[in-house]
Amino acid sequence: MSLDRARPLLLPLALTLAFELWARLTHLQSDSLAPPSAILAALAAALADLSIPIATRDTLFAAFAGLAIGSAIGLSLGIAFGISRPLDRLMEVTVEAIRPIPSIALLPIALIALGFGYRMEIVIVAFACVWPMLILTRSAVRSIEPRLMEMSRALRLSAPQRIAKIVIPAALPRIFVAFRLSAGIALIVAVTVEIAINPIGLGAGIMLAQQALRADLMLAYLLWIGVIGYALNILLIAAQRRLFGRAALAGDNP
Amino acid sequence: MNRAAILWRVASILVAAGLIAAWQLAANLRLVSPVFLPGPDRAWAALMRGFSSGDLAGKLIGTLEHMAYGWLAASIAGIALGALIGSSKMMRAYVAPSLEFLRPLPVSAIIPVAIAMLGLTRGMALFVIAFGAIWPIMLATIHGFAAVEPRLYEVARSLQMSRAAIIGKIALPSALPDILAGMRLSLTVALILSVVCEILAGLDGLGQWVLLSARAFRSADLFAGVILLGATGYLTSIAMSLVEQRLLAWQTAAR
Amino acid sequence: MSVVAMLDEARAARRQKTLIAFNAATLRLGGKTIIENLDLEVRPGEFLCIVGASGCGKTTALRLAAGLHRPTSGAVTFDGEPITEPRREVAIVFQDYGKALLPWRTAAGNISLALEASRVPARERGARIEALLRKVGLPGHADKYPSEMSGGMQQRLQIARCLAQEPTTLLMDEPFGALDAMTRQGLQDEVLSLTHASQTTVIFVTHDLDEAIYLGDRVVGLLPHPGRIGIELDVDLPRPRDQLATREHPEFLRLRRQLFDFIKATEH
Repeated sequence: MSLDRARPLLLPLALTLAFELWARLTHLQSDSLAPPSAILAALAAALADLSIPIATRDTLFAAFAGLAIGSAIGLSLGIAFGISRPLDRLMEVTVEAIRPIPSIALLPIALIALGFGYRMEIVIVAFACVWPMLILTRSAVRSIEPRLMEMSRALRLSAPQRIAKIVIPAALPRIFVAFRLSAGIALIVAVTVEIAINPIGLGAGIMLAQQALRADLMLAYLLWIGVIGYALNILLIAAQRRLFGRAALAGDNP
Repeated sequence: MNRAAILWRVASILVAAGLIAAWQLAANLRLVSPVFLPGPDRAWAALMRGFSSGDLAGKLIGTLEHMAYGWLAASIAGIALGALIGSSKMMRAYVAPSLEFLRPLPVSAIIPVAIAMLGLTRGMALFVIAFGAIWPIMLATIHGFAAVEPRLYEVARSLQMSRAAIIGKIALPSALPDILAGMRLSLTVALILSVVCEILAGLDGLGQWVLLSARAFRSADLFAGVILLGATGYLTSIAMSLVEQRLLAWQTAAR
Repeated sequence: MSVVAMLDEARAARRQKTLIAFNAATLRLGGKTIIENLDLEVRPGEFLCIVGASGCGKTTALRLAAGLHRPTSGAVTFDGEPITEPRREVAIVFQDYGKALLPWRTAAGNISLALEASRVPARERGARIEALLRKVGLPGHADKYPSEMSGGMQQRLQIARCLAQEPTTLLMDEPFGALDAMTRQGLQDEVLSLTHASQTTVIFVTHDLDEAIYLGDRVVGLLPHPGRIGIELDVDLPRPRDQLATREHPEFLRLRRQLFDFIKATEH
């Protein structure tokens, strides 16, 4: 039914049109607002002169690098803590002490250690991505059907074999969901670091636009950041459906 | 806690202490320059110094104030909006897709817009914190209201309950676990945004403390601030969990 | 004359009137005709049981009487007036008791919900709640949460909540379907004693033929797709009913065979 497909767009479309009309009627001159038409024009221009594509490349590079490192660490620790209850309990206090530190709080430390640029941003993103991966991987591993673990012991599989052949495949759907969550966090943290202090990427772009009092360009960056975040999420959901399909819904049932 | 659990807890504390000792060793051996990595002894000393001189306490209160105002405003608005949207199938159909689009958007991207509108002021910070903290609460509230057991609505109709009574006695209590979980997530968001706004706008708070310490290469003060931020996140989360347990006593009754 | 005999006479006298009536009631939902041209009259004080194969619309008929649905055509009336929405005198007991109770309120709190809706003043509520809990056999459980109670206890709590509405009519939708046999039998007798004394009209939906005959004054069997009446039996068994004696009564067995054959014929 075409009305059903169109319905999600009705509200944003209506708001955009209303905003455009209002801006035109009041001859809007502002440092913080601009009519949608001007925003789209600024977006097109920034895409054309490659300022936004370069900034996007920088942000995504830092975000993905941090995501790769952080989720690798989180995944390994999550599997280790999930398999070995004693290890998990020994590390409980340490994990619970470090986890609540907001990744942003590490910003000044990373700044004096690494200076401005990619490295400090990657480090902060990595730190932020470790925790959701760890917690969710651990719980995914813990909820693997016990029969499978018993079977792997009966087959006398070595620990690496067990992990590769049983643990990871069984927990993979939920691990992927954790990865999707971490990817979202990676983007958010990357942009936040850039807005706070780092002079690269989309966050820096939007701050510069604001400082230059270019409301249209600033909102264009805002719109673009939203688009990137949405696109990333959609891509990962599509990948999840492709890779796991209905198996993901079945979860951990063998 | 039974005996085994207590022993594990103690062992876990010992492991953490061991890691701190390793940190101290690394600092003493100057494996990393003390400009970047102070030993835990110096960090602790800086922490004590900061509190005894009143500086750190003032900064801590500054951050807590920013968090509190923003989070409270976000909670009230988030629950109200979430209840409105979540309880109406029609509103959900029209509004929810837009919210889904906005969900992955980094909330910090609103900061420049807020600066443009309100300048580098406290008001800007409170706006940003509230704006950022509203999302987890509102989305959780919508979910909670949308997931009310339909059978309970039929019971309410059968009893001829008024609309206000249905919202207050059926929908709200049913959605409460989700709402409280959303409020707990929002605490984290509020803390992060407080720090970022303090860094950007130079407002009185821990964010400003750690930034100034970094600029002056006072690593011990810096680490003291970071530890304090972690403690703030931890303790506010614990406090929220206690409130949740109290309000949701019926959930634990089954166990 | 004994009290029981007097009550029986009063009941017989009232049987002239009709309390709930289905007049050529038809309900179509989502493109399917669930029930069609259903004609049924329920007399005041009567214990009517409705049976039928799965999907024959017996639950739907009950929900029409409860005012949770409106007929697509035809009429469903209470005391002559069409039922357009739920009313407090008609209480409905659902099969999924877990979902029909508020998990965040205690047993007392759940019963209180009905009293609050009826605007019973707060100071009277305590006494009424205690009386109702005693009536359904749950004295002293006022402060327990539903999750701390067994299935049978939860269903009794739901019945208590419905009784708090002081209904003239009780609609019960396979209320004991999810319970074990022993609990079921105990609750059957409790429902009989609760409704007999107050002369409550009961429409009881079940797929258990023995239960229907044991409980009812009359049993109606529905044919499926679409739902309509296929068989109607008057149950002339002596009251009060007894789990052993009544079930061995030759009339019970005769009715049982009739119903069994009816259901068998509809399930092909």
